Amino acid sequence: MIDTELAAFLQEGIAIQIGTRNAVLEPNGARVVAVKVEDDGQYVVAYVPKAAAPQVVPDLEANGQAALVFARPPDERACQVKGVFVDARAARTSERSFVADQWDRWLKRLAGIGYPAAAVENWQTWPCVAIRLRVTALFNQTPGPGAGAALA
Amino acid sequence: MTRQHSGVDERDFGLESMASCFQGLIPATLFTCSRDGTPNAAILSHVDYVDSTHVALSFQFFNKSRRNIAENPHALVRLLDPDTSQGWRLRLRYIRSETSGPVFERMALRIEAIASYSGLKGIFKLLAADIYEVLSVEKAEDESARSAAAAGRRPAAADAVFTMKALQNLSDRIHRATSLEGLLDSILEGLEESFGFGHSMILLPSDEEGVFVTIASRGYPENGVGAEVRLGEGIIGLVAEARKPIRIAGLIRQLLYAYAVHKRAQEAGMCPPDRQIPLPGLPNPESQLGVPLLVRNELVGVLCIESEMPYRFHEEDKTTIELLGSYLAIAVQNMLLQERFEAMPEGTATPPGQKGAAATVTRPASPRREVAYYTRDECILVDGEYLIRSLPANILWKLLRRRDAEGRVEFTNRELRLDRSLNLPEWKDNLETRLLLLRRRLEQKCSDIRIVPRGRGRFALELGCSVTLVERP
Repeated sequence: MIDTELAAFLQEGIAIQIGTRNAVLEPNGARVVAVKVEDDGQYVVAYVPKAAAPQVVPDLEANGQAALVFARPPDERACQVKGVFVDARAARTSERSFVADQWDRWLKRLAGIGYPAAAVENWQTWPCVAIRLRVTALFNQTPGPGAGAALA
Repeated sequence: MTRQHSGVDERDFGLESMASCFQGLIPATLFTCSRDGTPNAAILSHVDYVDSTHVALSFQFFNKSRRNIAENPHALVRLLDPDTSQGWRLRLRYIRSETSGPVFERMALRIEAIASYSGLKGIFKLLAADIYEVLSVEKAEDESARSAAAAGRRPAAADAVFTMKALQNLSDRIHRATSLEGLLDSILEGLEESFGFGHSMILLPSDEEGVFVTIASRGYPENGVGAEVRLGEGIIGLVAEARKPIRIAGLIRQLLYAYAVHKRAQEAGMCPPDRQIPLPGLPNPESQLGVPLLVRNELVGVLCIESEMPYRFHEEDKTTIELLGSYLAIAVQNMLLQERFEAMPEGTATPPGQKGAAATVTRPASPRREVAYYTRDECILVDGEYLIRSLPANILWKLLRRRDAEGRVEFTNRELRLDRSLNLPEWKDNLETRLLLLRRRLEQKCSDIRIVPRGRGRFALELGCSVTLVERP
């Protein structure tokens, strides 16, 4: 579902959040440190700080519904990936450098728009919980006309 | 405020103490859920503070978040404090949508100002202010605040900018002013010295309906006197139109967001390519404040203050800003009336037809300038460069012609008032403002031609050059 160009965009180091909901349809959400697109764009692994994982993992285990939003300043290109939960596990040590590299690219982008990396020095970026989702839909979310249109 | 979620820091936390989170400096994220249970996440440009238990979200497009809220009132907003980087979760319940009233108007004006700068008027607009009850406020466990020392920035609580002492200092300056020019300059100087606002300008109504002209500025490389703004254009035009203060923080980021909309709208053929209006003043202002100068609902002018700090002006300053605007408006109006009154008595000026003091004789070696008056456009160009138009242009042309024909150098405001060819209105002709504008434009663009005050209601036209007068259609 996710083509090569879109996969590169999603993994280039941008703002990412994951949204879920509970049994009474109350939304929950958490920051995502990095994502990995797998299996020809059929799956996405979202790396969520361990401290934030309790915000979303119970919902995912209960009903499986997830939405990932991606946004890139300064051009504000944005999209949303809808998915269903596959599994969640502790991120492996071997994945740490991949996650850290993507997060560092995001910090450099933030610095480019005037938000210094030091501002988020106390944020947790590791350990992470790796949440695997099967992609079910893609939507454009760049502000303006066309926002909300299906991408695939 | 009830706390429904466990395992997090759920202190009682009034929204009023989170002011910096509501400045729109860093985008928030809105999480919603449809009736069938599909979650949605979207980036939000702004979360507006309404009161200690309510926030407002802007409804600009019929997007998925909006449709979800219509089906299911529960929402979650994740916010960041730009001072400390502490992340917050606000659990919300949709209450109602407002399409009028103070919250809507405040949000709509800010969005319109951004739209105006981006050529998006009519496209990038507020459809409604969606009001949400805040059910709980929770700290994001993974997004801890920096220590205050590490942050090295302002604490979350706003600096007290508009203190009584600062207001008193400004008031003292204003009372010392003896002319309109002195008053306007002392207002801008006072704003810098008492409040720290180093970049500011004052615009007054021009002769043309719905057009405002810069009469004084401070802190810019070019003084910009004579620059015009039309009603509804940018923050100044919107302040004049709405007659309400407008405060924008994080302007650059909001403009980037608007430009993204503009690009998409342009691609969709929804707006012409070249409607952007250049930002006034600072090349990259981070925050702007526009204040209407109102006296009994009459708009005397607009004060615009800019800052390179992302949020220099705070919501809690709003009442003081409005009060300050009224005070400045009264001071400007009183000075206009005083100058008009002082210009009325006869006998102090050089009578028409009589040459004034010959202190300003053209120097033999002085340069020659061509002053061209274009009758159809009522504008003057000096050596081919635009100087001024409309009434100030007509006044200058008349003065130059008389000086040329009669050798006069001194003139009175009164004789200009009585000159029917200038078509001054009988009441509130703003002649003194026009003369000040003319004088400052000359200082800026052609310092060889000077208008020099010579006491109450009198002035001299001094030339440091030879002048060739040319009248063109």
